[in-house]
Amino acid sequence: MKQASYIKRTVPGTVFDVINVVLLLVLSFIMIYPFWNQLVISLNDGIDAQRGGLYFWPRIFTFGNYSYILKTSGMLSALGWSVARVVVECGKHTALGWSVARVVVGTLTKLVATGFLAYVTTVKFFSFHKPLRRLFLITMYVSGGMIPIYLWYMKIGLTESFTVYWLPTLLSAYEMMIIASYIEGLPEAMSESARIDGANEITIFVKIIMPLCIPVFAALGVMVAVGHWNSWFDVLIYNPSGEYDTLQISLRNILIESDKIKKLMQDATAGSAAAKNAASRISTTSMRAATTMIVTIPIVCVYPFFQKYFVKGISIGAVKG
Amino acid sequence: MQREKSQKFALWRRQLGREKELWFWTLLFLVWWVFFFLIPLYGIVYAFFDYTPGRALTLDRFVGFKNFISFFQTRDAWMIIRNTLVISTLNMTVGFIAPIILALQLDELRQGLFKRATQTISYLPYFVSWVVVASIVTTLLNSDGVVNEVLMNLGLINKPIAFLTTGKYFYALITCVTIWKSLGWSTILYMSAIAGIDQSLYEAGAVDGISRWGMVRYITIPCIMPTIVLLFILNIGNFLNLGYEQNLLLGQSTTQEYWEIIDTYVYRYGIQMGRYSFSIAIGLMKSVIGLILVFVSNAIAKKYTEYSIM
Repeated sequence: MKQASYIKRTVPGTVFDVINVVLLLVLSFIMIYPFWNQLVISLNDGIDAQRGGLYFWPRIFTFGNYSYILKTSGMLSALGWSVARVVVECGKHTALGWSVARVVVGTLTKLVATGFLAYVTTVKFFSFHKPLRRLFLITMYVSGGMIPIYLWYMKIGLTESFTVYWLPTLLSAYEMMIIASYIEGLPEAMSESARIDGANEITIFVKIIMPLCIPVFAALGVMVAVGHWNSWFDVLIYNPSGEYDTLQISLRNILIESDKIKKLMQDATAGSAAAKNAASRISTTSMRAATTMIVTIPIVCVYPFFQKYFVKGISIGAVKG
Repeated sequence: MQREKSQKFALWRRQLGREKELWFWTLLFLVWWVFFFLIPLYGIVYAFFDYTPGRALTLDRFVGFKNFISFFQTRDAWMIIRNTLVISTLNMTVGFIAPIILALQLDELRQGLFKRATQTISYLPYFVSWVVVASIVTTLLNSDGVVNEVLMNLGLINKPIAFLTTGKYFYALITCVTIWKSLGWSTILYMSAIAGIDQSLYEAGAVDGISRWGMVRYITIPCIMPTIVLLFILNIGNFLNLGYEQNLLLGQSTTQEYWEIIDTYVYRYGIQMGRYSFSIAIGLMKSVIGLILVFVSNAIAKKYTEYSIM
């Protein structure tokens, strides 16, 4: 960053400053307005929204779209649950439940397993530590590709299961490299002395290495968690039946398959008169907007606080590759 | 002699004893490696067979390069190659220059709340999924969306433009949306390169009396040039890995001629239509070319910069 004192104040310079700020304001607007527009539509009466003219503020304010979505697609029951309970009771088969379960299980298992793998590849006296690291590095460059993986998962019964969300991504070379480079920066004497005292490797990892790795685990954990929250394509190809649908895939279905919406509408109109009335006020656009916001709001709330971890992650990744 | 041998053996046994526990965990890791990497990798041999699930791969089902050749005989082949090349090239030119300009613009701001806020806001689209982006874009650009409405109110157009369903707009659409999603995020590496520039260069520049534009032109840009070159070279390695998620989500049946790329084709033929050997062959071709690109770009990066990803 240049310090302002180097720069002479000139008229063209000031003009540039003004133009620059205006351009960046326009850019910020372009970045943020699409989300705001969705929020406005999602908070407006569905039928009224079809008239158009909704720019910055809802005209007829309502939470109807949200309550309708949460009721009809069975997301609400999961909302009040604590994270731990969602994991235990993910048998409730709600999209939100599967999403949360996936994020929690996927992130925790991956951090522990890949962290331990990274630790094993840093144990210097272990004769296989370098080959082990190389074997996993290969996976960064070569892979079977979409169809061979799909056929193999089908064969071993991984499709149509919750396992397919976390087991195939349990160990990954990228995270392994980052954690390993972090562990290598720690003083070796600590694990060495524990080893002399008779601690086994798991104990050393859990009791000594993991607490020291909290910064890198936090950085990677956020990245992995957001990745799990956002992924939809694996749901589409491995779990097509819909039993393990996550929020992202529900939104995708609303976006792509209008049949699904019709079905949801019919479900609602089959109910009481009040439900019928509520359903009559919903349009596809408002319904999609509400679902989009349900998926987006957790990210929007979380990312400003975690962005520095992401920046750290991308910088470590860039240096270490 | 005999004694030496037995000594060696004893040493070896002692080492194995010491590594016993590590070997146990390594074996578990290797089981995972075989299961989720090696066996799927072996699956690419199906590309050379006429494979049907549930039937053994016998030699009489070996077809050589037939699957590869039949891809080039389809009418779709050239359309797919064209789309892949066009969209990739757009990403590598427009999509590559945009974050550099934004990073330079941000650098001209004084440190403060406005700079931080602009950066944070520009990261937002990166954190949401492609499904969310596709849904938002669909709402905005629909015939009754805000964009068409504003354009009509301004009197620029008489009837709504079908941005999403007109084929000739698709390249522009997908490039804009891809840049929108990743623009802020892509500036991070440039921003950290700019932050690493030696302040004394600017001091010397100020003494020599160069203007503000001169500082950008003769100090900032040359100083971040290695980063620019490096990222460009690494992008070449990813040339074929343009995202398919956005193409699948934003592509309509009316615009298919413009959005079908190799990955979406593999998905549609392999998973939706069950033509496994055929789609594995196409995927394999793409992977081989991609791998060559990665190695070539990495070799170039190694030669011209101090940096290598291997």
